[in-house]
Amino acid sequence: MKVLVANRGEIAARVFKTLREMGVPSVAVHSAADRGAPHLDLADEVAALGGADGYLDGAALIAAARATGATAVHPGYGFLSQSAEFAAACEAAGLIFIGPTPEAMRLLGDKRASRRAAEECGIPVIPGANVCETNDDATRAADRVGWPVLLKAAGGGGGKGMRLVEREADLDEAFAAAQREAGAAFSDPRLLVEKYIAPARHVEVQILGDGREAVALGERECSLQRRYQKVIEEGPSPGIGAATRRALLDDAARLARRAAYRSAGTVEFLVGPGGAHYFLEVNTRLQVEHPVTEMITGLDIVAAQVDIARGGALPDAPAPRGHAIEARLNAEDPHRGFLPSAGPVLMLDWPARPWLRIDAGVREGGEVRPEYDPLIAKIIAWGGDREQARRRLAEGLRATTLLGVATNLAFLIQVLESDMFRRGETYTATLEKTAWPEPEAPAAAIAAARRALAAPAGAAAGDDAAGAAGPSDRHSPWAMPDGTGRLRP
Amino acid sequence: MSFVHVEHEGRRLRLAVVRTARGVWVGWPGGARFFGPERGEAAAAPGAPAEVRAPMTGRVVKVAVEPGRAVVTDDLLLILHAMKMEYRLTAPRDGVVERIFCAEGEMVDLGATLVAIAPAPAAVPAVAAPATAAGPATAAATRAAVPGAEGGGGAA
Repeated sequence: MKVLVANRGEIAARVFKTLREMGVPSVAVHSAADRGAPHLDLADEVAALGGADGYLDGAALIAAARATGATAVHPGYGFLSQSAEFAAACEAAGLIFIGPTPEAMRLLGDKRASRRAAEECGIPVIPGANVCETNDDATRAADRVGWPVLLKAAGGGGGKGMRLVEREADLDEAFAAAQREAGAAFSDPRLLVEKYIAPARHVEVQILGDGREAVALGERECSLQRRYQKVIEEGPSPGIGAATRRALLDDAARLARRAAYRSAGTVEFLVGPGGAHYFLEVNTRLQVEHPVTEMITGLDIVAAQVDIARGGALPDAPAPRGHAIEARLNAEDPHRGFLPSAGPVLMLDWPARPWLRIDAGVREGGEVRPEYDPLIAKIIAWGGDREQARRRLAEGLRATTLLGVATNLAFLIQVLESDMFRRGETYTATLEKTAWPEPEAPAAAIAAARRALAAPAGAAAGDDAAGAAGPSDRHSPWAMPDGTGRLRP
Repeated sequence: MSFVHVEHEGRRLRLAVVRTARGVWVGWPGGARFFGPERGEAAAAPGAPAEVRAPMTGRVVKVAVEPGRAVVTDDLLLILHAMKMEYRLTAPRDGVVERIFCAEGEMVDLGATLVAIAPAPAAVPAVAAPATAAGPATAAATRAAVPGAEGGGGAA
């Protein structure tokens, strides 16, 4: 087997490391923007992708596999990883797709088909009505499932066309507004009505199948999200009991078996008050946060994917041990509306600790490209218990230095140190409901900046920075990139 | 480009300092920030053009104005695109577009000046407040940028 990794950044680097360890030859591909990117250095061969679509160009990826003699394709996450068409095209070209079959992707990757499949397996789904044409339909549906309800666009997601309706008197207005929004966003004004579950946790189960049998490898709690982007993930979930855990794992494995699931996937659930759980959706691919499960099970999920693709056996599900927490280091500024921040990586220094894992897609001297998503690295800490993992992750983040682009480093530490997180009171709405004031720069850092700016440009920075700290200057006008003062949210 | 150790509140603190052409990056345990040079008096003078700068590195996907165009506060000037998100930069104040420093399709760096807006001729004598010309300009650009962030995609 020779594997082409149809991806970039930290996930491509992570897959190459396992392929090297397994002695499997590998091929990296890159778009025009990614010439010289770090993931290329971990592969045995490199191929350039023509065209403007880069990693989304299935034909170019298959051509690169042919040209390099690759026999298999690992899609990573994002890009074409959940495209049943791409999986089918790989198979038609005689390439092994390291992922689910196109049939399983169609069944479980489609929201409505997967909800039906879950119901047929006896898995609870969020009570609701499929399409409501009129507000009278919606009122009847809401009376049936119980108020409050969520109106959701039938034609798409991402929060557009979504309205929380607390009581019947508010429904007409919300229905009209949601219809307008859904129509504008998806050219499809149809709405669904769903029971509103709050406070809710997002808990997902890692599954692994070989096309016949399937195992559930434990759950991850990913409730801390911002605009549907996960920020901190952990396993096991601090918010569910043994009975809920067993139900989640059993349900996920049953759904995987029913779909004759092959390779790695994730079944997502919402867990409401009292531990009631509801099926959300299936991600038919390797997930960004899969290292959380790897850290507590000791299993290499990518290696298992490769073994399964070669016709090997499904590994046993090891008993989880200890606790793992992952933080996503993003190139974005939490205190300026989470503006993304591309640019050169001028200085980069990661901590080395036996209990820390760092999956990074950048290196010093490289850059964060504006063409792709803002994930710089995932930092994952293992501890004997949750509190130890939390402290280790916070320490690891404090020992991380990245200069050249704004990052969410300080925000991640703030979240990890908050009482909310210490107590495990993590719900899907928590991050957005909480104010996260911008931490002040230490006076010594401001003084060092002033000294460096006073030195002639090009002079060795820091030479003169080892003096006493200057007076605190919290109203310093220097904090914006253009020196005009920093805005507070 | 190195670490230095300084005294801070009685403890040793490790700082990382990198000087760039535009300013200096300083990192400390748990944070980092870019510091630009302090602005001179000239830029803050009343009647000086307001400069709208790039709030992030990205591609200019649309330039909505041309030199000589009169604009009022919050008029769309241009749209920036980065990391699957779109940002609308709007006029920080009423005036006339004096100069545009970028073109559609061009990549611009964080902090780069994109548009200069001169006060409307009639308005010049009225501009008496010592409010910095550049401060509000960036404030407006940033404020305008925030709603654009709603477009963030839903990856896992």
